[in-house]
Amino acid sequence: MTEATENEQLSYEQARAELASVVERLEAGGTSLEESLALWERGEQLAGVCQRWLDGARARIDAARQRPPD
Amino acid sequence: MSAGEVGRNTSQERNTSQERNTSQERSTSDEPWPVRVVSQKVGAWIARLGWVWVDGQVAQISRRPGASTVFLTLRDPSADLSLTVTTNRDVLDSGAPELREGARVVLHAKPEFYAARGTLSLRADEIRQVGLGELLARLEKLKKLLAAEGLFDRARKRRLPFLPGRVGLITGRASAAERDVLTNARRRWPAVEFRTVNVAVQGPSAVPDIVGALKVLDADPTVEVIVIARGGGGLEDLLPFSDEALCRAVFACRTPVVSAIGHETDAPLLDYVADVRASTPTDAAKRIVPDLTEEVRLIGQARARLERAVRHFVDREQHRVDLLRSRPVLARPQVMVEQRAVEVTALHDRAGRCLEHRLGAAADELRHTLARLRALSPAATLDRGYAIVQRGDGHVVRAAAEVAKGDPLRVRLAEGELTATVDG
Repeated sequence: MTEATENEQLSYEQARAELASVVERLEAGGTSLEESLALWERGEQLAGVCQRWLDGARARIDAARQRPPD
Repeated sequence: MSAGEVGRNTSQERNTSQERNTSQERSTSDEPWPVRVVSQKVGAWIARLGWVWVDGQVAQISRRPGASTVFLTLRDPSADLSLTVTTNRDVLDSGAPELREGARVVLHAKPEFYAARGTLSLRADEIRQVGLGELLARLEKLKKLLAAEGLFDRARKRRLPFLPGRVGLITGRASAAERDVLTNARRRWPAVEFRTVNVAVQGPSAVPDIVGALKVLDADPTVEVIVIARGGGGLEDLLPFSDEALCRAVFACRTPVVSAIGHETDAPLLDYVADVRASTPTDAAKRIVPDLTEEVRLIGQARARLERAVRHFVDREQHRVDLLRSRPVLARPQVMVEQRAVEVTALHDRAGRCLEHRLGAAADELRHTLARLRALSPAATLDRGYAIVQRGDGHVVRAAAEVAKGDPLRVRLAEGELTATVDG
């Protein structure tokens, strides 16, 4: 799963920027079904990466809050 | 023997040596000088200084009842040096009748060697107590001098550490100033550590004491700030804190120095040369340590803001991602397929209709062709009563000569057929 690893290494900003460009391309149309499907799958992956980053950030904030002050 | 004679060089003196009752110009182990000669020579050397004006501080004064001679111990205000002054009671009474210990005086005196004891003193014939006005004028002059030398330069001021490892405190023993600094500093920062050096904060030994304490504390690497504290007092009481030697010692310190002398309105020169001027000892406590409660509150505030900011950031990003994900192209991927399915169905329908049309056309054509075929067939002629006669070999008989007697014949009628034989 080289792609998945590659996705994990994307920063949140990279993932979001790519996601936005995928959406734009899909909305512009003019792509073949196969291309559209591939774009959509990529979009789903990227949205997942973004969401994992955000969830992780929230978890870290909550964890930091729970920790008793030094 | 006069001072002038002593001043001559040795060779000249040798020529006249015989005229004097004292013997040799040079003492040797074989011919040592008697005490009286040495004493006389010392007295002569001392007398050469002549009359001088001296500025000093009275460290001790003894007026013995009935005695006409008064003894003073005159001290340098900045250094641990003193001289004995003798004077006549009349001189004292006319020039400085109220003279007390600690006062600044200017006196006109001549050094004298008291041969009977081998002691040195200044014989004063005029003593003036230095008045307030003159003291202030001198301070002003000293202030200008130190300012010109750069001792007060803002750029030379060192910053106090935010939280000093240890605070050096120079103050009077069990003084209100000491208590104010200690109590207030501990209230603000309970863990603050002090190294206190108790000194005289007024009187003749104040300056040497304080300078000594400064050196000790400055040499202690754990002391990160030094406070010099003293409660309020009269101008003369605070004079040590305007002393030139003290100012220079503070300027030379590597450790930052806080001055906390007297009240808000007091401004000894120490205030100008110190790195930080505190208006009172209590104020000094505020300058040297942070307020724990306040710091804890600030940290709490900062943490809350930090958390709000980071949560806000994550929420905003979540919103952006949600917006992207809710766009129809991502949210309803089936549209991508459905749209194409509709196209396919439409094409399929078109194809179906097209084929049907063609089939119908073909059926019509077939019907027409069949009709034409039927129109050309002999059946209609047979219907009208005609018959077709064929020989056994299938040849259609058109003439009687084409058959012979006894030949079998097939007769095809409109409805069915029959066989016959030729009989003539």
